[in-house]
Amino acid sequence: MTIVVAERPAVSARDIVKRYGGVTALNGVSLDVQEGEIFGIIGPNGAGKSTLFDILCGITVPTSGSIRIMGSEIAGMPPHLIARSGVARTFQRTAVFAESTVLENLLFGRHASFHHGVLDRIIGSKTFAGDQQAFQARVEEVLTLIGLDGERHRKAGVLAYGVQRRLAVGIALMSDPKIMFLDEPAAGMNGRETTDFIALIRAIAPGRTILIVEHDMAVIRQLCGRALVVVDGKPVVVDAPHHVLSHPEVVTAYLGADDDE
Amino acid sequence: MIDRKQVGVSDDNKSGRTAREAAYIACAIVVIAIFAYVFTDPFVVTLAGYTCALALFALSINIILGGVGEVPLGQCLFFGVGAYGAAIGMGKVGLPFELAVLIALVLSVALAAIIGVITLRLTGAYFSIVSWGLTGVAMVAATNLEEITGGPLGLFGFPPIEIGPLQLSDPQTYFAVTATILLLTILFLVALRRSPFGAAMNSVRQNPHLARSVGVDVARVRLKAFMLSAPFAALAGALAVPYTQIVTPEVFSVANTVDGLLMVLLGGAQLVVGPVIGAAMFTLIPQAMNLDPNVRILVFSSIIILIMMFAPGGLHQLGVALRDWFGRKIDDDRSR
Repeated sequence: MTIVVAERPAVSARDIVKRYGGVTALNGVSLDVQEGEIFGIIGPNGAGKSTLFDILCGITVPTSGSIRIMGSEIAGMPPHLIARSGVARTFQRTAVFAESTVLENLLFGRHASFHHGVLDRIIGSKTFAGDQQAFQARVEEVLTLIGLDGERHRKAGVLAYGVQRRLAVGIALMSDPKIMFLDEPAAGMNGRETTDFIALIRAIAPGRTILIVEHDMAVIRQLCGRALVVVDGKPVVVDAPHHVLSHPEVVTAYLGADDDE
Repeated sequence: MIDRKQVGVSDDNKSGRTAREAAYIACAIVVIAIFAYVFTDPFVVTLAGYTCALALFALSINIILGGVGEVPLGQCLFFGVGAYGAAIGMGKVGLPFELAVLIALVLSVALAAIIGVITLRLTGAYFSIVSWGLTGVAMVAATNLEEITGGPLGLFGFPPIEIGPLQLSDPQTYFAVTATILLLTILFLVALRRSPFGAAMNSVRQNPHLARSVGVDVARVRLKAFMLSAPFAALAGALAVPYTQIVTPEVFSVANTVDGLLMVLLGGAQLVVGPVIGAAMFTLIPQAMNLDPNVRILVFSSIIILIMMFAPGGLHQLGVALRDWFGRKIDDDRSR
């Protein structure tokens, strides 16, 4: 038997409860995501996985429970400070800055790491030049990664849906985050786009911890080492995706969900 | 290989852009000079100076509207602070014009900070309505504090208004001063737009949630933008005084803000000089067409409705759309 040295989890949640008035959306969810892991959160519609997701990245404040990211408690921390501590997320809808070009979108993504002000810009100070160099180097890396090298001057809003999702990941990558939260990244993608997207996530995964909420089981199965199933606001099982998907309770939950649809 | 020209922030591109901008600035200076010394009709030149002051006000509104995407219905509050500040400072206290204006500017920023902290937690219609409501308070105060503000009749009969050796009562000088301030403001706003803060404002306008997720402090950006917009409105208010020669509680009327908003929408909120184009049309067209003030409202309302329907980005967008349309037509003809 091997002895596993307990590492500090990248994301750790304890007994998360979230109530909206009389409705309990989440009831006692705990999880530990290890550094470097790609972790999936799945569950039928209305199971509370999006609520859990928003709580984990600090957008929603839980009724009770604690969330630690890289060991520090994030309860009550404003979202922009969480973002600056090396955590990035993508959104299911409105994932990009639609009126701006691909390049400008990436510029916005780098916001937190700029140090120069309006005056630096006018006089062209060293700080400004330094920021510019760092931005250029990063922008080329990210454009190559997300495969949008040729589209840099196009407006984000006119790009195909799947391409916008890649750009959304690009925006998140600009700050070189240690932890990434992806909210249903493959929703609405066609087969080809999904395949490309899975390849992209695999390419950016080394050195990062990634949490994915996703409906598409193919994505979860291909990407995630472990997945948590949430049903009716309660955690059902955490295991490798192929084990999870054959778990009796999960099967029942999903068949039930199918009946509803 | 990386094509550096494509990055848009590379050195080649920058020097080209700098040269083009220098050319624009030179053109603007030439236009200002020609206008000031070719047109000698004092009425036209003074009106042009006043138009520059209004353009400054429109630019202030656009820092909020085009910058962070809120509708600042209370912006005339700062315009009024500038106008009353200059009038009270000169007329009641006997301060030199520039010192009175300086105090008004500082006051407007402080006021924006207080109002911003309270109202910018609210966004959308709530922010607009609360800030509008505060202008109502200001109007009541200006009407009733007769000792300071002259009451409903307002303040008038100022000593000659001058900035150092520059006599603002001279039409040419008035125009040259307002136009120069306007030009400097435009240059500042261009630099602002390209700065990280400009990018932060733009990201907040387009998508506050996503902006927050990349580390932008959305509330702080909104507050800073509001505090930044206030002194420009106050400066506009102060620079309007040499033209109007009177300051009444009417400056706090929401109609003034709406005029400013119309200028912005007319010219286009996403172009830095859009509000300036709008302000020019807003004052010069009614004068040229000799419109009755009531007819003017009708004409401008109709124009605004048409622009909102066909070119929500203002006249600038209309120009781009026309160019694209003709371009496409030519392509179609060729492909046939």
